[in-house]
Amino acid sequence: MDYSNKSVLICDDSILARKQLKDTILAECDNITIYEGKNGMEAVSVYKEHKPDLVLLDIVMPEMDGTTAVENIIAFDPSATIVIVSSVGTQLQLKKAITAGAKDFIQKPIDPAQVKTLIHTHLGGE
Amino acid sequence: MYSQLFGSYLLRKGAVTPEQLTDAITKVSTSRIKLGTLAIHAGIMAASEVDEVCFLQTREDKRFGEIAIERGYLTDDQVRDLLNSQSPDYLLLGQCLVDENIISNTDLQQHMLDYQTENELYDMDLNLENKDKIKRLIERFFMIAEVPVTEYSILYMELMFNNLVRFIGDDFTPLTPVPCTEYPVNYCVSQALHGKINCISRIDMTPDVAVQFASRYAKEDFSEFDEYVQASIEDFINLHNGLFIVNMSNQYSTELLLDPPSVDEGEVLTMPPASFLIPIVYPFGTIHLLTSLYGEME
Repeated sequence: MDYSNKSVLICDDSILARKQLKDTILAECDNITIYEGKNGMEAVSVYKEHKPDLVLLDIVMPEMDGTTAVENIIAFDPSATIVIVSSVGTQLQLKKAITAGAKDFIQKPIDPAQVKTLIHTHLGGE
Repeated sequence: MYSQLFGSYLLRKGAVTPEQLTDAITKVSTSRIKLGTLAIHAGIMAASEVDEVCFLQTREDKRFGEIAIERGYLTDDQVRDLLNSQSPDYLLLGQCLVDENIISNTDLQQHMLDYQTENELYDMDLNLENKDKIKRLIERFFMIAEVPVTEYSILYMELMFNNLVRFIGDDFTPLTPVPCTEYPVNYCVSQALHGKINCISRIDMTPDVAVQFASRYAKEDFSEFDEYVQASIEDFINLHNGLFIVNMSNQYSTELLLDPPSVDEGEVLTMPPASFLIPIVYPFGTIHLLTSLYGEME
């Protein structure tokens, strides 16, 4: 399906995690635009510049963690669609992220099927 | 887990040296289980009978099963059942040690019996792992080196072994843990956990081993020690610690915080108190886990 008018921001300090997410999304979504960031500061900065349709955000990152980045992005754009993708899937972290404004939470390791469902849920298409 | 810890059991009993064990582990992946080893494990043949049949095989052009049947040690049905049976992985490790003349079949028979008795593995179905038995097995593993063991240490290492099985492969053997005050690193990823428990967890390996480790973890065919390989090591430790934090939260309502991973290369690290080193031997090389775990459960 053509996603030429859609964009995703992937923010994770791991280049491997970014690649795995990127590969999964590109395999599913033709012509989608993907932006990348490697810490919370970059996530906020890239979001403000491009306003992507979906943000996939890790929690444990240097410079600025994911939860703080969610707060900053939501303060800039309350309608932002942010999904946390993290290995730290505790109820407390989940609650913090949702309270900050995240819409969903995916527990690592990354399951491609789960990412595809996420894409269809938030960007449409099936 | 029973299979992985059989090697460290043999070390503890002084049956093998770390070098002999490491060498045997590298041979496991290219070896096939033999009928004689299966027969010993099943308690159908004595080690001396297996030795006798192996000796006769050097003089007669016949298969092991044929000679064993002729000698009345096995029936046709028993040979068929043994060939169709599933054997625990540690049998193959034991067989490699016999093939290398490090232990005899009689030694192997006795060690298997003692190991099963010590760990109450009466049902012989080693796929059905019992949580309490695993916990005792890991406690015993730490007692070998008189490393201070806490409930957290056991939970942490049990999860680590499970994650190694899940993400890297079950063909590893942990060697004896040793207390560690200083450590010369190769490529070392560290990550700290904070809260009621404070822990610094490190994983260290040479670049060559890292390439193999990362290839298994990321399910990619890496050929050089590049940024993806380095990220794979960081991802593994980050994922493991993340899952540990989830377990601590769910089981003990203990909330912990995780720092981002950091990297040390080519220096000597001074370790915090209560640190221990566990070499983990895979066929592709050895990884070194360094853990400093301290804190009290309330």
